[in-house]
Amino acid sequence: MSPFILSILLLGLGLGTTITFASSHWLLAWMGLENNTLAIIPLMAQHHHPRAAEATTKYFLTQATAAAMLLFATTSNAWLSGQWHILQMNHPLPTTLITLALALKIGLAPMHAWLPEVLQGLNLTTGLILSTWQKLAPFALLLQVQQTNPALTIMLGITSMLIGGWAGLNQTQLRKILAYSSIAHLGWMLIVIQFSPSLALLTLLLYFIMTSSAFLSFKLNNTTNINSLATSWAKMPTLTSLAPLILLSLAGLPPLTGFMPKWLIIQELTKQGLAPTATLAALSALLSLYFYLRLAYAMTLTISPNNLTGTTPWRLPSNQLTLPLAASVTATNFLLPLSPPILSLLTP
Amino acid sequence: MTPAHFTFSSAFALGLMGLAFHRTHLLSALLSLEMMLTLFIALSLWTLQLNSTSFSTSPMLLLAFSACEASTGLALLVATARTHGTDRLQSLNLLQC
Repeated sequence: MSPFILSILLLGLGLGTTITFASSHWLLAWMGLENNTLAIIPLMAQHHHPRAAEATTKYFLTQATAAAMLLFATTSNAWLSGQWHILQMNHPLPTTLITLALALKIGLAPMHAWLPEVLQGLNLTTGLILSTWQKLAPFALLLQVQQTNPALTIMLGITSMLIGGWAGLNQTQLRKILAYSSIAHLGWMLIVIQFSPSLALLTLLLYFIMTSSAFLSFKLNNTTNINSLATSWAKMPTLTSLAPLILLSLAGLPPLTGFMPKWLIIQELTKQGLAPTATLAALSALLSLYFYLRLAYAMTLTISPNNLTGTTPWRLPSNQLTLPLAASVTATNFLLPLSPPILSLLTP
Repeated sequence: MTPAHFTFSSAFALGLMGLAFHRTHLLSALLSLEMMLTLFIALSLWTLQLNSTSFSTSPMLLLAFSACEASTGLALLVATARTHGTDRLQSLNLLQC
């Protein structure tokens, strides 16, 4: 792809999210979302491969439907209450429709079926953009809508966590596993979004850091399934020893960063008197832990058959930029002691 | 609920149901996505009813974005026809498992 076209597309991605962030009017927020969708489609379809074309078509159909539903709900809200402002949504019908449309946009559980297939058809860089940057604008809107019915977001959250855990168990493709991990993490955010929006935002940002380090380390190894993970020790011995920490941080085990959002969310749910929901959330993390552990086992905890030529590749220098990977891996593993300042930065 | 509100709501719901349940060809899915045009009517009628001049550009903005989306959809139709040889949605099954 020509660098001029690439820069225009990346600027379009940035512009869409910025428009949605800056808007208080629903029409402008919708325009930002459309801009985001239209800007990433050439990036997804740039390799003229059947799988890329199929993934792009599926992504386009779901995103266009979700955007149309969002605009329909806001137009209905304008007809019912005469308001276009994002923060002044009072009628329950448009609010529910908007929540469902945004859930379809970010791939929450009853509307999640497109996300693993789309992610499977992309390369790892575009997949990283899809699972981080593209989620920002819909999530910002979801944070601003006042929920009239608390059962809706809790049900969306619980089904996302359970389905993300169950469906990920059967996968051998890394991008599908990462897609189901994304669904499960978004479930954790949705479950707390009406009690503490700042906590949901914190979870989203930490998920971005953790999933970027997972995507970047898989990209450095050029791996897309579990089998090829087993030879990664020959390419990057240091990264191979750090990768289980990244995966366990995604799973949310205590000394790593991923424990912080789960800890705070369970504390907040218990404070709100939702102990059964908190228990279900904590138990659903075990499902995800299983497939993260399987990845870590295939990558690091087994010793592969070794020969003399097999040990040479790690001496060959890689020309990929490793600074983002180093920064995100450091943040993925060691951010837990900093949780009080991070929390006070985000909570008002 | 005014009659105009009912009309565009039911038209939109029909379009959405067409998109959800009639899934043989990609072209018919793209046609169902033109349910955005009911939103054009809704925005125009809202502007007319409230006599708000400042809002009168919004149907045009919606139409512009809707045209962009339709052209993207047709480009993807061409791309899938070239890679899969057909526009049936049944054949888009390389990625599922």
